[in-house]
Amino acid sequence: MSNGTQGSQGGIIPRAYKSGSIVYMEGDKSDNIYIMKSGRVILTTKKVEDRIWVEVKENVKPGEFFGVKSALGRYPRDETAQTFGDTVVLVLSLAEFERLILKNLNVVKKMLRVFSNQLRRIGKTVREVLGETDAVNPEVELFKIGEYYYKAGRHKQALHAYKKYIEFYPGNKHSGVAKQRISALQSGHSGDDDLMSGDEDEYSTSSYEESAGDMTDFSLDDEAGGSSFDDFADDSGSRPERSPLSSEMDEFLMDEDSGESSDDLSDFSFDEPDTGVKQKQDDINELFYEAMRLFSEESFSEAKDLYEKVLNFKSLKNEGERKTFEKAHFEVGRCYYKMKNYREALNSFSALLKKFPTSDHAKNTMLYIGIVFEENGNADKAAGYYKKASEMEPKDQINKEAVNRLARLQKNQGRR
Amino acid sequence: MIQLDNPIFDKFTVEFEPNELIFCEFEPGNEFYVIQTGRIKIVKIINNNEKTLDVLKPGDIFGEMAVLEEEPRSASAIAMEKSRLLKFHRDNFDALLQGNPQIAYRLLVIFSKRIYDAKRRLMILLLEEPQLKVMDVLNMLSEEDPHLDLGGPVILHVTIQEVANWAGMQINEVQKILTHFNQLGKIELFNDKIHVKNIRDFMRVVNSRRKSSFQ
Repeated sequence: MSNGTQGSQGGIIPRAYKSGSIVYMEGDKSDNIYIMKSGRVILTTKKVEDRIWVEVKENVKPGEFFGVKSALGRYPRDETAQTFGDTVVLVLSLAEFERLILKNLNVVKKMLRVFSNQLRRIGKTVREVLGETDAVNPEVELFKIGEYYYKAGRHKQALHAYKKYIEFYPGNKHSGVAKQRISALQSGHSGDDDLMSGDEDEYSTSSYEESAGDMTDFSLDDEAGGSSFDDFADDSGSRPERSPLSSEMDEFLMDEDSGESSDDLSDFSFDEPDTGVKQKQDDINELFYEAMRLFSEESFSEAKDLYEKVLNFKSLKNEGERKTFEKAHFEVGRCYYKMKNYREALNSFSALLKKFPTSDHAKNTMLYIGIVFEENGNADKAAGYYKKASEMEPKDQINKEAVNRLARLQKNQGRR
Repeated sequence: MIQLDNPIFDKFTVEFEPNELIFCEFEPGNEFYVIQTGRIKIVKIINNNEKTLDVLKPGDIFGEMAVLEEEPRSASAIAMEKSRLLKFHRDNFDALLQGNPQIAYRLLVIFSKRIYDAKRRLMILLLEEPQLKVMDVLNMLSEEDPHLDLGGPVILHVTIQEVANWAGMQINEVQKILTHFNQLGKIELFNDKIHVKNIRDFMRVVNSRRKSSFQ
């Protein structure tokens, strides 16, 4: 990167380059924006053609800007700018660029059109790579959005989508069903089954309602003695047969000990486990990851059920399984938190702290207890837990999050 | 931050209740909005899941793509709380810019970011090996946070589902790969976050593969 001064006070600086100079390199970070004054600058960038990156060279003409997007978007340069022949460019700071373009709106409008066009083209390439044809039919898709919200029990949103559908596609394929849905939603009979049979029905019923139904009929059985960490430490009895996954894990653990990482991908490659990640009731890790997948799909109630199965494991084979077991305590709490069952969430979190006071997850648990209290309007308790979390070692992003939340709470309290 | 307090804008004011849709993905639209008060969530239904793309605050603009192109909305906008917006028709775009050039500047910034994000995603999608795609999603997420110290372990707030969306892969396949990384000790998986022990390691691996495919 060139090391000229930032001309935020002294106005726009012209800078002369000899032929072959690099104005900036791909990967550089800088706030500078350039205007080509005289000479020649070539931008070398990469574009996708037929799913392959190819190098493209582009001439900057006198009077044109370059380096704009990366400076404005504050990301690394994604092109290299090199001079050919003696060249003079003007160097602008972001503030100067802003001042300049505010006085030249036509330039801005032209840039906006160019940017919008670039964005559309990249978007099109992305869709092509993903195998999504451009032949998406907005009519059908709009109806599907309505269906999504309808089945999710989010009636306001569903109503909007159906109404727009009727407005823009009054005589089309789904307008009959859309009208039925609208009148059902407006009369408050949205749950009627007969409405579901109106058209192809590829969506399941609302997962929101399912999880709501589940919230109350579960209570964490407080069998701390039966499942504490110590009890597992000396458990050498009836171990279930080793699954391919766990022996695979042992190999990796060994691998890690000797492991110098190399550039080679073989470091990360692996043989497919023969069963795939199907839910296997006897393998704690598989259960755990299945639960994690459900959580990430926002099926919190189902995830919770599986995490609880993890908690019911009576024999843990190694340190890895013990860690999984410990972590499941935390994750059960977060499932309840997501289900807004705050009482059970607190029960789970405090169970973790009781059983594993020195757990790696203790800090995060403190943070979450704080969040639960905050969401329930108990700012004082929330602040207490945030403070505890913020002071725990080792310091990382969780501490930062706790500090931020604490500061915001205190600010809000000060306002009252 | 765009201040449009001038009473001349009063006739453009529209109000939305919490959870109200301002516009819906795939709906035709000719208007764009400037937020006066309240927060607006931009969401998209992906694989039958509602995914939040962005949360916008007062002063932010949205819906502007419709002004520059005649395409249906690419995402839905939902009011998160009671919100007051200014709603402008495409035909008023020039006039608005004339009176408020800072909007134009802001739009340039927004477009710059979006173009970069789209390109970055393309870089992920064009990797051949699925493991590399997953790794590169983690790389991208680490790059996005300027406060992260990439020299140490990083915490990325992302679910497996989100990683799958970014990588354009099936969730089961992504889960398998992440589980494997977890077993290798490269990462630690949580419900909605991933601890990466050494993100530079991932970056190095992906970059070396990407480079070799240029030659």
